[in-house]
Amino acid sequence: MSVFYDITVSHFLVLAAALFTVGIAGVLLRRNALIVMMSIELMLNAANITVLAFSRGFAGNNHEAAYQGQAFALTVIAIAAAEAAVGLAIVVTVFRTRRHSDIDRLTMLKN
Amino acid sequence: MSNLPISKCLSWFGVSALAISVVFGFDLSIAAAAADHAAESTVNTFISDEKGGGGKGAAFVFWIFALSSLGGAIFVITRNNMVTAVMGMVGTFFAIAGLYLMLYASFLAVMQVLVYAGAIMVLFVFVIMILNRPEDEPWVMHGILGKGVAALGLLYLFKRLAGILWEVKDVQPLVLDKAALNVDVVLNHSDPALAAGAVEAITRTYEFGSVEGVGYTLFSKYLFPFEAVSIVLLVAVVGAIAIARPTEEESAEDAAEAEAAKEAS
Repeated sequence: MSVFYDITVSHFLVLAAALFTVGIAGVLLRRNALIVMMSIELMLNAANITVLAFSRGFAGNNHEAAYQGQAFALTVIAIAAAEAAVGLAIVVTVFRTRRHSDIDRLTMLKN
Repeated sequence: MSNLPISKCLSWFGVSALAISVVFGFDLSIAAAAADHAAESTVNTFISDEKGGGGKGAAFVFWIFALSSLGGAIFVITRNNMVTAVMGMVGTFFAIAGLYLMLYASFLAVMQVLVYAGAIMVLFVFVIMILNRPEDEPWVMHGILGKGVAALGLLYLFKRLAGILWEVKDVQPLVLDKAALNVDVVLNHSDPALAAGAVEAITRTYEFGSVEGVGYTLFSKYLFPFEAVSIVLLVAVVGAIAIARPTEEESAEDAAEAEAAKEAS
């Protein structure tokens, strides 16, 4: 069972794919805006795992290339923090005016 | 969990198991081919010990982190109670930080815990405390058919994604040994005095993935993106305040309510 013993880059990548799929499930299937935002964070994390796995696995002896991935992942974390702040502000505003945060009932912009 | 009866759970898992068997079609050929490949060629171990063999301890740690992150993620999207969902998310983030450590990104692991588990999740908890309203129907898809279709679609997506990504292991990955993890970096290399040989180069040794390494990259080659991120954060903070601030009528209403409450008491 060397699949279980020899951890390759692909193990990290497939785990990231699984986390991404769970995030997509949360975005598509849940109706609570906060759960949807948490699922988006989950997908961002999956992308970060992918970036780091590639940077760790394929940079070769080029350490600068390996650090490119880490710098990119750090940028993604910062952008995710900004996105969470703005998104939560929007959720709070919507809740204040509509008294719910159900994304299926937020159809003011329809038609 | 009172509003999620066991029969509902069982039907959900039954449909999922059915979908797994349909989509994957008992197709374990991927795993079998991988085992053959590993047996006949030099094993492309990613996490390895000094002798070049596969590290079983490292594999054990990887599976623990992988399963806990995945379990936490599934926990997040299946909970109706928002606070438990956030706690599951925190667990997921800790497990992902452990995976970052396995990928030699120790600074990023620390940032993951600080920023995600520390800052963003606290923000979520605050908003949950403000909202604090149970939802009537948490799922978009109703019934066993809708959930089955959703599970099938998602499993197909995962199969395609994982099928692409699993092939990556055939590319020869680098095995970083311990000597390669310590890097000598010549600072001030653009100094003309250094080029002339007048001064000796300052060399420093640091661990791969440490604050020094990431910082050196971030403040030399990626200075502009780093500064741009600070602008983005500033704009996000200003935007969040501008969006979430109550309008004048609302603050007048709140003041009136508070006044009424004070008089009533």
